[in-house]
Amino acid sequence: MNAPDTSDLAIAELLVYPVREPVSGRSYTVVRLKTRSGLTGYGECAEVTSHDLATARQFWVGRAATSYSHAPESSVAGGIDMALLDIVGKACRTPIYRVLGGPTRNKARALTSVEGTNIADTVAAVKRALSAGYRCFNVHVPSPTERNQGQAYERKVRQLLDSVRSEGGDFVLDGGELLSPGDAGSVAATVESLHPLWFNDPCVVTNLQTIRKISDESVVPLGFGSAIHTPGTFQDLLRDGLVDIVRPDLGYYGITRTRRIAALAETYYVAVAPHHEGGPVATAAALQLAASLPNFFIQHIPFPPAEEDRKMRAELVSASVEQVMDGFASLPTEPGLGITVNEIALEKYRAA
Amino acid sequence: MKSLWRNIVLRRGFLALGGASLSLASSRAPNVLDGCGCAFAPPAVVNHAFDNLQSGIKITNVKVFGVSLTPQSDRPYVFVKIETNQGVVGWGEGTLEGKAGAVMACVNDFRDFLINADPMQVEHHWQSMYVHSFYRAGPVMGSAISGIDQALWDIRGKVLGVPVYKLLGGSSGAIRGYYHADKGTPEAMAKLRQWTIEQGVTCLKATLPEYYEWIETHAKIERAVKSMQALREGFGPDIDIAVDFHARTSPSVAQIIIKEIEPLNLLFVEEPCPPENVGAMAKIARHSTTPIATGERLVTAYGCRELVEMGAVDILQPDINHVGGITGLWKAASLAGISGISMAPHACEGPIGAIATLHVDAALPNFLIQETCRPPMISTQDKIWEDWFGHPVMRTVNGRFRLPDKPGLGFELDEASLAKYPFSGTVPMERVYHEDGSVAEW
Repeated sequence: MNAPDTSDLAIAELLVYPVREPVSGRSYTVVRLKTRSGLTGYGECAEVTSHDLATARQFWVGRAATSYSHAPESSVAGGIDMALLDIVGKACRTPIYRVLGGPTRNKARALTSVEGTNIADTVAAVKRALSAGYRCFNVHVPSPTERNQGQAYERKVRQLLDSVRSEGGDFVLDGGELLSPGDAGSVAATVESLHPLWFNDPCVVTNLQTIRKISDESVVPLGFGSAIHTPGTFQDLLRDGLVDIVRPDLGYYGITRTRRIAALAETYYVAVAPHHEGGPVATAAALQLAASLPNFFIQHIPFPPAEEDRKMRAELVSASVEQVMDGFASLPTEPGLGITVNEIALEKYRAA
Repeated sequence: MKSLWRNIVLRRGFLALGGASLSLASSRAPNVLDGCGCAFAPPAVVNHAFDNLQSGIKITNVKVFGVSLTPQSDRPYVFVKIETNQGVVGWGEGTLEGKAGAVMACVNDFRDFLINADPMQVEHHWQSMYVHSFYRAGPVMGSAISGIDQALWDIRGKVLGVPVYKLLGGSSGAIRGYYHADKGTPEAMAKLRQWTIEQGVTCLKATLPEYYEWIETHAKIERAVKSMQALREGFGPDIDIAVDFHARTSPSVAQIIIKEIEPLNLLFVEEPCPPENVGAMAKIARHSTTPIATGERLVTAYGCRELVEMGAVDILQPDINHVGGITGLWKAASLAGISGISMAPHACEGPIGAIATLHVDAALPNFLIQETCRPPMISTQDKIWEDWFGHPVMRTVNGRFRLPDKPGLGFELDEASLAKYPFSGTVPMERVYHEDGSVAEW
């Protein structure tokens, strides 16, 4: 067997395709890199500014994909990181997780959000997700009407969770940064005995002492990270024992910087559940990451309620990366990210 | 006088090497590892600093034995035998689960430290083995030093005609012990309960069943809590129950389970999370009134310091075969005692370390209880130990272990009796995995 040739992986071209789901309006940007040798790599991130795109082009054109560790930070950095690793994996003819020393597991536990403005809608969403193979659900707290709530709100949370639990499966209670720290503490105490997998984003991460109060008052695991764009904040939370599951945003941090945060969290026995609210290319990256990390716990995969949106996600990539069975997604086995991106579909769903 | 002069010269030579002059070094053996500028010339002469303070006893030989009770055992006993020019011999144990070969090799690496040395200077040799190893001790080196240390204490006790526990200032008393017993059928547990009452046994320890992921489900947490409730129901209200979490749980999962089992009033929960992060252990302790015990994987008193300093534990459990022998266990206990922390030393290896730990226990004002990793009923292992030592070593009478009252560690051991159980090689410890194939703590 000939060893793969990775000598010429200089980047020749960087393109981005902003796309939008027709019903949900969820938008994300697919990044495409090409090497001089003709390999293509894909990645995904949130919206990219034209300034960041120009700067990234200037930096990457002529540079080797194998130097992915030395990337400057920007709004496109996460997507470029995935695309670079996609190229490295393809050049090595192996999935990214094998480039990174995995697989550390043979499948990845999956989680999806169930949305609804009332209990009946939420329960219907749980049923849909159950039949799609999910066994863990991200349940949003009811929208609080005031900054601080009382017993009526606690009861509403409890009723919602009781209804979701009666369908079977496990759940994450997602505060969506909507609650004040005081309310977050009361809600945590209310749901403690229900054993949510964790209480996500119970409040905004600003003054860590306010979070300490929540974490001192209950044993409900706390998850933070979806909005944390400063890696040092993860260190602060971990050092003070305020976080039980870290959730760096995959599109923002990419695979490489998420791995660095995971390595830090590992020394605190804290697991990683990368935050992911984007499209199927990032899902593929998430699965590669899951199989590369020792302390991966679960991957959130968006599962839009509208059939049309789900169709778009299935069209964008060839492989069935977003298929979940019995609560787990299986690992891609093809080189790189393990998917083929459909460029016709990228054009079809291009955001105006 | 001559030796004093020589030491000064050596010391000056040592210092000179760190600076610019190499004149003294060049008169000795050429230094072949000078590339990094960090390798000093090897000591060409023995230390004469204690020439006038020698006891007259010299170490003449260091032997290390691997003893496999079964070919599959992951913890062949690593016994160290130190021989002297006066005919006195000392035995110690450095058994390290899954790493027998490495510890045996490490003991041999220390031969040069020991041959011709005065075996009475235990503390001095301990310091030399530890400090002069430069890299400090991990579990392999810690276990090797532990085995050597115990053997040196055994020799010193024999030479002085005093049991080790008396050298340490201990009282002869009996040592409160506990056995291992997991949840069984209600009938089996009732039978065990009756047995403990008859035998005067006051404590049992169970292991938390199943393996746990970083974050756990409602069902798993409920099962864990129920299994511990079943222990209390089965063993009854009057016996102390401890539960070993064996670091199977992350701090996040542990703190949930421990909070819910508070009403069971356990004697302690052991290793609720792995040992590397003391802050994580402290976080668990802050969330519960149940006492937290840990320490079996710690090496040297240095390794125990942070745990004690942060008040992260109520009970410290170093293992005499890893923590640094009698010297290491006593020091760890001393610093724990200053903070009001109790001692319940871990002991899951062979009989020599077990006997050595009883000697230390007898001398600790902050001693709580002694483990023995065996079921309440007599096992084959007990019988083998009885063959070797003339008594079963770790069987309680009225709930207490008895101490040998002879000099040193208090036993004679015939090398030939070990030959029945030849070393069958290093066998790795258990490897367990989660449902997705990823590595699990066990």
